[in-house]
Amino acid sequence: MQVANRPRTLDPENLGSLANWLAGVLDARRVSFAEATLLGGGAIQENWRLVVDVEGGPREGHHAWVLRTDAVARISLSLDRAAEFGVLKAAYAEGVTVAEPIARCSDPKVIGAPFLIQAYVPGVAQARRIVRDPALKDFGESLAERLGAELAKIHSITPPRDDLNFLPLPMLPPARNEVAKLRNALSSATEPRPALEYILAWLDVHAPKPELITLVHGDFRTGNYIVNDGKLGAILDWEFAHWGDRHEDIGWIMARCWRFGNDGLETGGIASREAFYRGYRSAATLPIDESLIPYWEIMAAAKWATVAVLQGDRYRKGGEESIELALTGLMPPEMELDALDGIEALIATGDPRWQ
Amino acid sequence: MAVKRIAAETLIELAVETLRKEIQPILPSEHRYTAAMIANALEIVRREILMDGETACWNLLDEVYPEGDGDMKKLALDIRSGRVNAKTVPDLHKKLRAIVVEELTIRNPRFLKSRQKQN
Repeated sequence: MQVANRPRTLDPENLGSLANWLAGVLDARRVSFAEATLLGGGAIQENWRLVVDVEGGPREGHHAWVLRTDAVARISLSLDRAAEFGVLKAAYAEGVTVAEPIARCSDPKVIGAPFLIQAYVPGVAQARRIVRDPALKDFGESLAERLGAELAKIHSITPPRDDLNFLPLPMLPPARNEVAKLRNALSSATEPRPALEYILAWLDVHAPKPELITLVHGDFRTGNYIVNDGKLGAILDWEFAHWGDRHEDIGWIMARCWRFGNDGLETGGIASREAFYRGYRSAATLPIDESLIPYWEIMAAAKWATVAVLQGDRYRKGGEESIELALTGLMPPEMELDALDGIEALIATGDPRWQ
Repeated sequence: MAVKRIAAETLIELAVETLRKEIQPILPSEHRYTAAMIANALEIVRREILMDGETACWNLLDEVYPEGDGDMKKLALDIRSGRVNAKTVPDLHKKLRAIVVEELTIRNPRFLKSRQKQN
């Protein structure tokens, strides 16, 4: 068997350890690998494509799976792999389009880092490739509609849930709770961001009235789903999942910072806003309050600015020598500008909620 | 014949140009993104050498802390605690925006231009 590309976590020595661990978890006689390939785009964490032969047990057969390692240091806003695996299982059981979760391992001794294994779903996830695809004009609207319907399915998951009891229920109205989380994360940050603090203060004071609490994906955007031949393959990256206000997810995918330069296509740089709303409405039991989305777009910009500050700190003080992390650490003013202009635009509407 | 001074910013400019014109086109596709990041990082450094990026920042700090005892960390904390807000500093929004614009002039002028065009 061949270990291709730059071997990092996986190497010919610990593949045996992974095979033994998997055989135990899958109740199999023997597990072997025909292929282990490091996939691109993993500056922060590694994604390996595995071609696996399982002998015996309920998963006997030949499979294509993906192994995702934990980042060296996860930022404080994200779930660990064990919790992410729990959310994935719940979403999969609910019929959300995710790659089937197979196994997870918290023990760093097996391959050198905690990891989870999911079914391999072919296709493209890189946002820039999706938004620059010449065929986007043909599939963008239907893809956005499908994404809307999927998100409505995610939002049909509501607390209390025994299988998701590791997700804390917000103690404050969801918007204020998000502000509190971001402020908490920024408290230990190296670079002070007065503009971001001002934006968070505005979001806190103008938090919408709480409505139904649902599961919120927390990072539902272009770049975090797989597209295969113009169709949705799987929704990825559940590490920011939490209980909250469902409009948060809608504001996130609509936010200008996630349009990757296709600013005219408001749904994640792929399609019109209306296409996404149409899909959401087709599958949701509750209507979208469209008047709230600009507020949540400002929240999205504030959250991404906060994450960028934290990513930069992984370079500044976390000892991760990555040019990508260092450059991400310089991005907060981009989102701050969007948020400040978003606040100004909301105030200009004259709507008493935003004064 | 004019003699060129080989200044730091000139060297960086040359390095970026060489990277973009000669190295990037022959790199395998998986390394092109890294090369683009290196060029981007070098251009930020070049602009930082050439520009003064702290005028807006000092304008606001001088207004909020006339005694000269303020810095960005203190300002961030004071905004969070509510001690500094749009009532105590009526043009706070505008002045914070000016700081952000100044930072973008160095960190990402292309982004700034795209936003100015839209608004």
